[in-house]
Amino acid sequence: MQEYKCTITEISKLNADTVYITISCPEIAKAAVPGQFVNISADKFLKRPFGIASADTEKGTFCIGVKVVGKGTQEISSFKQGKAVDVLGPLGNGFNVDGYDDLVLVAGGTGVFPINFAKEYYGARGKKITVVQGFRTQDQIIMSDKDSIVSTDDGSFGIHGNCCDALKTLDWNSFSKPVIMTVGPLPMMKFTGLLARELNVPCYVSMEQRMACGIGICLVCVCKIKAEAEGREFDHKRCCKDGPVFPYEEVIW
Amino acid sequence: MSRINVNVGKVNLKSPLILASGTCNFGHELSEYYDLSILGGLSSKGLTCKPRVGNEGVRVAECASGMLNSVGLQNPGVDYFIEHDLDYMNSLGTGVIVNAAGHSFDDYIEIVSKLNKYKDKIDALEINLSCPNVKAGCMSVGSDPQQVAEIVALMRKETDLPLWIKLTPNVTDIKSIALAAQNSGADAVVLINTLLGMAIDIKTRRPILHNNTGGYSGPAVKPVALRMVSECSQVLDIPIIGCGGISTYEDVLEFMIAGSSAVEIGTASLIHPTCPVTITNELEKYCDENDLDLKDLTGTLKLW
Repeated sequence: MQEYKCTITEISKLNADTVYITISCPEIAKAAVPGQFVNISADKFLKRPFGIASADTEKGTFCIGVKVVGKGTQEISSFKQGKAVDVLGPLGNGFNVDGYDDLVLVAGGTGVFPINFAKEYYGARGKKITVVQGFRTQDQIIMSDKDSIVSTDDGSFGIHGNCCDALKTLDWNSFSKPVIMTVGPLPMMKFTGLLARELNVPCYVSMEQRMACGIGICLVCVCKIKAEAEGREFDHKRCCKDGPVFPYEEVIW
Repeated sequence: MSRINVNVGKVNLKSPLILASGTCNFGHELSEYYDLSILGGLSSKGLTCKPRVGNEGVRVAECASGMLNSVGLQNPGVDYFIEHDLDYMNSLGTGVIVNAAGHSFDDYIEIVSKLNKYKDKIDALEINLSCPNVKAGCMSVGSDPQQVAEIVALMRKETDLPLWIKLTPNVTDIKSIALAAQNSGADAVVLINTLLGMAIDIKTRRPILHNNTGGYSGPAVKPVALRMVSECSQVLDIPIIGCGGISTYEDVLEFMIAGSSAVEIGTASLIHPTCPVTITNELEKYCDENDLDLKDLTGTLKLW
């Protein structure tokens, strides 16, 4: 593993507060799998983590989506083409799709980015993909195509409701060895997992917490993971190194 | 002999650079990035007698030129460490510094006597009398010269391993604490642990850290650390290991000139994991260009 000096090759606006950034780094483009993230210098003190949204091994580039939520993301979203950035990655553990045929990918918020990578990557490797996306309103819709099943909270586009309402419209009997993989706000992933339990479908979630190093040495980005087998109620596992992907049933919500 | 070789009392280190406790775990993760044998040493994650899950909720807040953390000594416990990580640390080809913390005098004595059984695998014990993120022990002991004197004397009876005492800067007079440690048999002091601080979310009017307060580290604390190293250097006979915001070779030189025999790199590893490689190369270059041995810089500060 190493830290790369990279260049931003393209940056475009997706909506009022979100940009899509393409970064040149053949090593990361080649090594990345869906669910992994990169940690990027932000001209602030700490780097900032972003789920990988796409990777092009031929061009040697990968993409991230950046929604402005604070000073670091504000800084990064104002970067221009040609800007040099320090990048650590790919970091963390991706999804494990072994043994599953039908992948139901559920995205909310900035979860649309890692879910996009999962769609591209596993789609190209013969998995059957269903993408479900939840947005607040129609003007928030990003990273969506004609095959995406979209819900909006206000009903301005697609299914009126949230991701779970959209998931309920799927014909689950038509799927072969299905699995749900979800990335988004905690409440969304929690209720997606509950529905998955009702449907008796395995579910994986991508946990998020304020992060510093991204490589497992500082122990600040922890989440509670059940540890009954070890005789404890839970362990504080590192989102960056032990995750970010965990089985829904192992997370204490 | 390499020109960046240093001594901390009896302990010979191939470089002044030690990875600071809590910023390198036990070395597994960083060894994916570089060969840790270039280092003078690696100080383990702070260990306690029993495993600790650490603090709940948000544990980090970025601040000007630094960060607050409130991890709260999450660690697998000393027994697990001895079984699973000590041999690994020994295999890294660098100084093995084991950092230990406690909630009571009994805890400190128990952990030191346990680790003493493995003294052939340990180069020094670093005793944490300074963590600001736990309710008992640590900083509350380390801010009282009388208690520091007592606890160091008790640990001294348990081991002949080098005892390095890591002190808190959150005190009125660091010299009196450092002297108390020295006079009770400490082999070195490590200056400084983090500064107690707070960050506030103006929207929620709540502290960002769910522990309310945390330890401030990074380049912002370097001037405070340098001042304390310099002050203590003037009154101590035992060596000082300097620590606080070091991220460049010039920082290392400043700390050594101020009176440090070795230094620890902490928060800088969280941002650029391989920064010790760069610093090592630059220190070697500096010694060659200036035709000096790095250890000769220690305590050469000329005060006005």
